Amino acid sequence: MSTIVQLQSITKVYGIGDIIVNALAGVDLTVNAGEYCSIMGASGSGKSTMMNIIGCLDRPTAGRYYLDGIEVDTLPDNELARIRNQKLGFVFQQFHLLSQLTAWENVMLPMIYAGVPVQERRDRAREALVRVGLEQRLQNKPTQLSGGQQQRVAIARAIVNRPVVLLADEPTGALDSTTTEEILDIFGELNASGMTVVMVTHEADVARRTRRVIWFKDGQVLESNLSPKDVALVSAG
Amino acid sequence: MDWLESGNMAVKTLTSNKLRTGLTMLGMIIGNASVIAMIGIGQGAQRLASEQFESLGPNVLFVTPGSPGARQRTTFLPRNLVWDDAKAIAAQVPSVASVAPQRQSQLSVTYGGKNRTTLIMGTTPEYLIVRDFDVAKGRFINNVDLERNTRVAILGSEVAEQFFQGQDPIGSKIRIRNISFEVVGVLQAKGSFLGNNQDDAVYIPLTTSATSLTGRTSPFGLDLTFISISAVNEANIPAAEFQITNLLRRRHKIISEDDFTVQTQKDILRIVGTITGGLTALLAAIAAVSLLVGGIGIMNIMLVSVSERTQEIGLRKAIGASEQDILMQFMIEAVMLSAAGGVLGTGVGIGGILLVAAFSPLQAVVSPVAITLAVTVSGTIGLVFGVFPARQAARLDPIVALRSA
Repeated sequence: MSTIVQLQSITKVYGIGDIIVNALAGVDLTVNAGEYCSIMGASGSGKSTMMNIIGCLDRPTAGRYYLDGIEVDTLPDNELARIRNQKLGFVFQQFHLLSQLTAWENVMLPMIYAGVPVQERRDRAREALVRVGLEQRLQNKPTQLSGGQQQRVAIARAIVNRPVVLLADEPTGALDSTTTEEILDIFGELNASGMTVVMVTHEADVARRTRRVIWFKDGQVLESNLSPKDVALVSAG
Repeated sequence: MDWLESGNMAVKTLTSNKLRTGLTMLGMIIGNASVIAMIGIGQGAQRLASEQFESLGPNVLFVTPGSPGARQRTTFLPRNLVWDDAKAIAAQVPSVASVAPQRQSQLSVTYGGKNRTTLIMGTTPEYLIVRDFDVAKGRFINNVDLERNTRVAILGSEVAEQFFQGQDPIGSKIRIRNISFEVVGVLQAKGSFLGNNQDDAVYIPLTTSATSLTGRTSPFGLDLTFISISAVNEANIPAAEFQITNLLRRRHKIISEDDFTVQTQKDILRIVGTITGGLTALLAAIAAVSLLVGGIGIMNIMLVSVSERTQEIGLRKAIGASEQDILMQFMIEAVMLSAAGGVLGTGVGIGGILLVAAFSPLQAVVSPVAITLAVTVSGTIGLVFGVFPARQAARLDPIVALRSA
């Protein structure tokens, strides 16, 4: 079983004037290929900062981060952009689709930055949309799609470059309970077919669908391998 | 990401907000249209002026009293160019064909209760040859008139029309400065020259003009306003200019600075060219200001666009766009806006030139140089004014950008 995400004593310090905030205070964490884990914790516990660092949108103040065997904490901005493009897939709470593009074009976007040839781009984007059940909506603009459909387009966009890990930041936060189930089914299917998924959530019901829960508190990992059925226990205590 | 992709993306973005794109481009359209129209109209005026001077005949030279240097030093000049000078030129300069001494003033002319202030030109029979006029009716000044100071007048076609309205003016008496003159001829209409109506003039014998009308004679003889000279042929113009200059220097006993100026048609064309060229440049410079304003409009809209599309920029960065990709995207949008505005503006400008040409004597001059320049300049303006907003966009922190709502 290969290691996808390996974090070694990661710290992140934000300095706002005289006030210094230790967003992460020495985090050690490993995520292996094929895992389906959720990151939980109270707001301010550092889980969003963690997500940004795993997603290479932010750099740690100290510590080492290996993504798929590459040490990424020292890479320059351009290299990080390439890593995000090639190795990471993002799903956001607010979907973040480009309104002037169709569903199909939105999914093609990461491949444009990857330099994939046009025909291959179109084929792969269609495949990804088929995988999330949107083959009928290729030519629709985001405004013509429901919230759940938009999030499925976003998932298709996240997986189209075949990332080593799919990062989801509160992916169901803007959806009703029925749609939430549909989206989580898709994540489940993707994981079943071998995709590593890391999801930040504050909903116990969502975390329960994953197979491993990482619990953050005060910028540190409180529990790194919690069973989903114990979530209620931790949140109570 | 290659140029084609970026261009495609920019087109999609620009066409998704057509009103804004149109209004932004309008600034560039107006800027380009005015630059091209102004240069076109300026060059049209230049060409018109040149052609009118060329219509004087290619062999014409002019001698005027005073020199450019002397003109700067004094406002009152003794009238030192005289009829004897003209006679000497005619007699002694071999490369000269005809010499027409001219003495002109603006005086009031009356006939049958009508009054008109017009150009009164005292001259000799050679005037017809040198300036290429034709007599429509009656006769022109002859040598007998000159010898006897006869009070005869030849009317320009417009003066004839105003005073006589189709009736035969020959034999009628007109009064110039209250002195009676008999009309003996009417000239063929010739049209205007540099905005001066050449047909609005009355011709009288040179001698009569000195003795009866203005009465001013310089200590050197019968003073002239200028002398029009035609050379034997075009090749002889430099020789004529040289010989006339030498002859007059000798006659005027010049030891330092000339008190006269000999100008060929080429000299005058050059002066006209300088003046109209300067005017064209001035017009273009004023128009260029609107091009600049258009550029600032583009920068303004691009800045608005960057702050409006913060989330888009964040998302693009999250899925792998590098700073260069974002920079290029916004630069291409700006350049596209300005270049498209440039091309459309060129069309409008050419339309404007053709419109002006249709309703005025100015010729339509569509200058390829001006067009290339305007489109290049507007593209450059897009680049220059696009850099700042594009850098703003490229430098956005993706985390902050994604979170902004």
